[in-house]
Amino acid sequence: MGKVAREMVEKAGIDVDKLIKLLVDNAAAELTTFYYYTILRVNLIGLEGEGLKEIAETARIEDRNHFEALVPRIYELGGKLPESMVDFHNMSACPPARLPKDPTDIKAMLKVLVEAERCAVRGYTAVCNLTAGKDHRTYALAQAILHEEVEHESWFSEFLGEGPSGHYLRRGETSPFVAPFMR
Amino acid sequence: MSIRIFTMEELRGYDGRDGRPGYVAFDGIVYDVTDSWHWKNGNHWALHDAGRDLTCQIEGAPHTGEMMRRLRIVGKLKKS
Repeated sequence: MGKVAREMVEKAGIDVDKLIKLLVDNAAAELTTFYYYTILRVNLIGLEGEGLKEIAETARIEDRNHFEALVPRIYELGGKLPESMVDFHNMSACPPARLPKDPTDIKAMLKVLVEAERCAVRGYTAVCNLTAGKDHRTYALAQAILHEEVEHESWFSEFLGEGPSGHYLRRGETSPFVAPFMR
Repeated sequence: MSIRIFTMEELRGYDGRDGRPGYVAFDGIVYDVTDSWHWKNGNHWALHDAGRDLTCQIEGAPHTGEMMRRLRIVGKLKKS
């Protein structure tokens, strides 16, 4: 734990134990999403699934990166991950992004994907709201993750015909915003 | 069908802990969050607890009151 790192956040008036819970719950959402997106991605086959593969793969890896980036901050603040991975799964801030009953229903798959990203956008907005101006390090991390989650949402939303996202594909690189937190 | 009217004291008993149902009030309506993934053990994102009127807390939330439409209505909150 970073003793003074935690003290500074407490001194700013944040309930650090609540913040830790929020970070652990969001970390759980990231790792479980990585798992469920793996299943979704392998089922993106055929003509309709082909177009979604790249963004599904990028979102999947970036969500895993988000988990990696969150872990050090959780421990810096004096928190920890649960010993049981089952408990960790069930703590997830977002519902499991399960494969639709009909795995060939690409539209249903997209709805699962976009809802997962929307939950993440709300989750990191909540962390940013809580920490803005008070916990500069967590705020910076949450903001970086938020940037990427907003892009994930926009990719899937665009496929659903909800309007242009304005974003370009990553084309190979991942986590342009979160990478500095993973060194 | 009659609508159940909850007092604040009654609502507090539905805190979603220890197997109890979880209810929250918003804008005078009482919603059931017991089975919601987002309200495990009566707590929402470490920041909000069931058994309470959350109307004032929506301002800081990363969503609008429209989100409540996803929940089952179980009654109304008695005006104080």
